[in-house]
Amino acid sequence: MTHFEIFGLPASVDLDVKALEQSSRTKLLEVHPDRLANADAATRRKAAELAASLNEAVKVLRDPIRRAFYLLKLKGVDLESEQAAAKLALPMDFLEEIMERREALEAVKASRELARAQAMEADVRSVQGRVLAQGLAALRADDVSAASSALGRVRYYTRFLEEVDAFTEELSS
Amino acid sequence: MAYSEKVIEHFEHSRNVGTLDKEDPNVGTGLVGAPACGDVMRLQLKIGDDGVIQDAKFKTFGCGSAIASSSLVTEWVKGKSIDDAVKITNKEIAQELSLPPVKIHCSVLAEDAIKAAIKDFQDKRAKRGQAPAVTTQPVTTTP
Repeated sequence: MTHFEIFGLPASVDLDVKALEQSSRTKLLEVHPDRLANADAATRRKAAELAASLNEAVKVLRDPIRRAFYLLKLKGVDLESEQAAAKLALPMDFLEEIMERREALEAVKASRELARAQAMEADVRSVQGRVLAQGLAALRADDVSAASSALGRVRYYTRFLEEVDAFTEELSS
Repeated sequence: MAYSEKVIEHFEHSRNVGTLDKEDPNVGTGLVGAPACGDVMRLQLKIGDDGVIQDAKFKTFGCGSAIASSSLVTEWVKGKSIDDAVKITNKEIAQELSLPPVKIHCSVLAEDAIKAAIKDFQDKRAKRGQAPAVTTQPVTTTP
């Protein structure tokens, strides 16, 4: 069963997140341990397993980026697996852009300039938003190759943003 | 998971970190990425007109294994001919660093970077209409 099927929702980029949250609340209540206090151990174990998969499914589907990667996986390309990811050839100028951004961030980290790191973060977030939108459009059009290429790029921006997060945390601690 | 001693050694004392002039006709630049984790590796080789690698520099944004793999190959390729360097396999790199299976892709990245750098050098040569390295001809090298 896919994460979408668990909630009886259509597998779509444009998932109704409200409907998702409603459905997950109802379903989680059904398997809540309090309701199964008198049930036998096997039933309770099954309920706990179901609750875990419901929670995992909600986590993936609620986040637009994770949802897009999951939809692409349902279409046969799992960018989280090494093999699939390795086949993805991104243009050289894109890798150069990422290299430059990472080097610039490294310099900012060395000089501990929080404001500049935040400016870079805002820039990368907006670029990532644009590329993600391309990926979502490609998924809607069922263009797996264009979706792979866009989401592959999204991953590099996510990595950059994780680095900024780590840096801001380090500064504030 | 614990890193092997050799990985830690290369990570803490990385060899040949830096850049070479990518406009230099004798410098080949290999830039590769790992889409599954979003990390990038750049390897640059300075290659003499005799086809021997004189210098190597790298810059890697990635995990310890990726950094160690690129640091190691910069040591290995120096003094090798490009024909020999291109034969370095990810298996040798992974073996030398005792990489666990989940980190094999880091050694693959390093192997790809060598090949990409050599290809970039050869493409540059071809574009300039020069004979490929190894066949000696009077060329003035710019330092």
